[in-house]
Amino acid sequence: MPLPRLLVLFGSQTGTAQDVAERLGREARRRRLGCRVQALDSYPLVNLINEPLVIFVCATAGQGDPPDNMKNFWRFIFRKNLPSTSLCQMDFAVLGLGDSSYTKFNFVAKKLHRRLLQLGGCAVLPVGLADDQHDLGSDAAVDPWLRDLWEKVLTLYPVPPGLDVILPGVLLPSKFTLQFLQEAPRTCFEDTQARVDPKGPPSELQPFLAPMVSNKRVTGPSHFQDVRLVEFDITGSGISFTAGDVVLIQPENAATHVQRFCQVLGLAPDRYFTLQPQESEISCPAQLPQPCSVRHLVARYLDITTVPRRSFFELLACLSPDELEREKLLEFGSAQGQEELYEYCMRPRRTILEVLCDFPHTASAIPPDYLLDLIPPIRPRAFSIASSLLAHPSRLQILVAVVQYRTRLKEPRRGLCSSWLASLDPGQGPVRVPLWVRPGGLAFPKTLDTPVIMVGPGTGVAPFRAAIQERVAQGRIGNFLFFGCRQRNQDFFWEAEWQELEERGYLTLVTAFSRDQEQKVYVQHRLQQHGPLVWDLLDRQGAYFYLAGPL
Amino acid sequence: MAEFGISAGHFVAVVWDNSSPVEALKDLVDKLQVLTGSEGRVSVENINQLLQSAHKESSFDFILSGVIPGSTTVHSAEILAEMARILRPGGCLFLKEPVETTVVNNSKVKTASKLCSAMTLSGLVEVKELEQESLSPEEKQSVQEHLGYQSDSLLSVQITGKKPDFEVGSSSQLKLSIATKSSPSVKPALDPAAAKLWTLSANDMEDESMDLIDSDELLDPEDLKKPDPASLRAAPCGEGKKRKACKNCTCGLAEELEKEKSREQKSSQPKSACGNCYLGDAFRCASCPYLGMPAFKPGEKVLLSNSNLHDA
Repeated sequence: MPLPRLLVLFGSQTGTAQDVAERLGREARRRRLGCRVQALDSYPLVNLINEPLVIFVCATAGQGDPPDNMKNFWRFIFRKNLPSTSLCQMDFAVLGLGDSSYTKFNFVAKKLHRRLLQLGGCAVLPVGLADDQHDLGSDAAVDPWLRDLWEKVLTLYPVPPGLDVILPGVLLPSKFTLQFLQEAPRTCFEDTQARVDPKGPPSELQPFLAPMVSNKRVTGPSHFQDVRLVEFDITGSGISFTAGDVVLIQPENAATHVQRFCQVLGLAPDRYFTLQPQESEISCPAQLPQPCSVRHLVARYLDITTVPRRSFFELLACLSPDELEREKLLEFGSAQGQEELYEYCMRPRRTILEVLCDFPHTASAIPPDYLLDLIPPIRPRAFSIASSLLAHPSRLQILVAVVQYRTRLKEPRRGLCSSWLASLDPGQGPVRVPLWVRPGGLAFPKTLDTPVIMVGPGTGVAPFRAAIQERVAQGRIGNFLFFGCRQRNQDFFWEAEWQELEERGYLTLVTAFSRDQEQKVYVQHRLQQHGPLVWDLLDRQGAYFYLAGPL
Repeated sequence: MAEFGISAGHFVAVVWDNSSPVEALKDLVDKLQVLTGSEGRVSVENINQLLQSAHKESSFDFILSGVIPGSTTVHSAEILAEMARILRPGGCLFLKEPVETTVVNNSKVKTASKLCSAMTLSGLVEVKELEQESLSPEEKQSVQEHLGYQSDSLLSVQITGKKPDFEVGSSSQLKLSIATKSSPSVKPALDPAAAKLWTLSANDMEDESMDLIDSDELLDPEDLKKPDPASLRAAPCGEGKKRKACKNCTCGLAEELEKEKSREQKSSQPKSACGNCYLGDAFRCASCPYLGMPAFKPGEKVLLSNSNLHDA
């Protein structure tokens, strides 16, 4: 008799909802239920009407918006032409992740729940509303909701006779097995990372390997922050963008970290393996070549410098052969240990690699088969595009502030993508960076004479530079930029460019240098001072007003 | 009398007015007192004093008003409402009142149907006309005297009304059964036309021109509310951060904590095996100078620079 099949669909922006969805998948497997876990936009919606039991795990992002990997689903599910009996075969439940400091708290989950009812679905539970503002975070709502869910699900699909529920301490089979090859394969597939499928513009599954043209520091040498202007050559990529659009960059781990990781786990970086899913419902990640080297897996795929979640410790405990370490890992994975875990891990932003170094006996005993269960994939980072194709054809520029800060850990915390980009020097040899473009949140007016007011302190000015370049190329005046930074001679990005445009009559620039004088002057002070002008622009001339950056 | 349904233990109010002959009133009260016995009670109220008496609500099982032979009591809406209030749930009102049989505007005397609706509006249910009879010449005279009204088309009518079975302000839970299907097989079949429409739409994911419903309209005012801040707090737990000794503590914190704990019930004690705090942060105690540094091998020399010692 085939196992009853549960479908878990998630919409996740930062990976938290995905983590909860995967936890659901594991708990389902413990209860002997077949379970598929997929991002909403990866699931063929045409099959949804045939699904008997679906759990939706959805974060709310931005201003009450759905996360990127459920945007297509969101546009679909509200279509007026969907019949109200479409989902009459479906039992469902919706679990939302959100933050109640936002007005539109968990709007995505709330709306989805209602819409599914409207389409004829039957809710087995009230909508779950997890809240980051709770002292104990989302778990405070997720834990009891899951308990109720399983109670309900087990009445619908009891554990088959003769089988038991697999207890939490017992290890589940890994999602994949890594079949190691004796020798390296003849041809190296991975360096030609471009997938043999040139249909359509570059995307997450097939990024464009853009040559880096230049990588220049644009902040003064004594300034505390390293900010780079990075330029890429996108000739022949099929990439097109307009001002306000965003570029996504897929970073990789630093060589020193890769080395350390392999050392601690006892992995040979130059060995190759093929990846095999252990269940028919699991598919191999498309980003991994087959066969794949350990070095590639650790450098390009496994996010070893991210801060681990509770589920990491739960799984690691099951894998630990050392009594002392296992006990501590169990504690960190337990509901009672969450406060301790927060102090140990989340507050100081301790990375997976650092945790593994703290648990050496466990780390060296991790079976490679479990690597993809344990460590999430590296997520791409988004940057506002800072140039216009009309001013720099075939080029794409971004402004990158290198993230570096201290917590109580000895080693300073570093941004993965910004540090990686900063380390690349096209002067030393060809450098290629995987990237693709997606539409951004800023849309500039189509009408020719609508003025535009842009307030962009610091790196927030990046999309406005693209907009101004675009508008100037189209002959549009009426560009008003309020720019703020610390010191005129330290971080006044594009000072010469603005000056030239002002002389040519295309730009009105108002600056605020917060530390050039005794009292702090910020863009909001300047806006106040220019109140009458701003008001006239908005009220009489119908100007558009934009805000971006650290405010 | 027995037709009223009054028996032992009942609380009865007899309401009279100036039109009621005193002898007849006394007579009625005596008879009622016999009926209600020692457990019951008979109260006598002048209709004009009733509101001022302000009896406690739900005080009486029965109210008899204007029933004394010879009375020509007229009941106002206010009086009827008060009577309804002081009746207990399920209690009965019997009243007798002269009524007009022809419709006369602004008359002091109501028609029978108007009287019935007045009783209903005051909160009584099961309002029934029991009987009608013509007025005696004395009663007609009484109407003229007390009400200043004269007419040839008057009748006397006896009406009963009941207080509903609940007191004002009481609440009771509705049993709503939210139909949760207990078995997956109890699902309606999917309409083939609906399936086709869905499939067509789902196969056309790229079409941006399709009309969408406004998702904001799905939300009701409850959805817009934020959670109560009190619900976001974790259960309080004694002191703030717990001081913990590492497993192989050599700095003496373990002994100190053990002394504190010895007063309470015995709980699991950390092993006091001898060793250095070379294990990572996960195993170090709160006062360890190596906090923030990775684990190192026992015996490995780790230099603590000035910055280590001064770090927060």
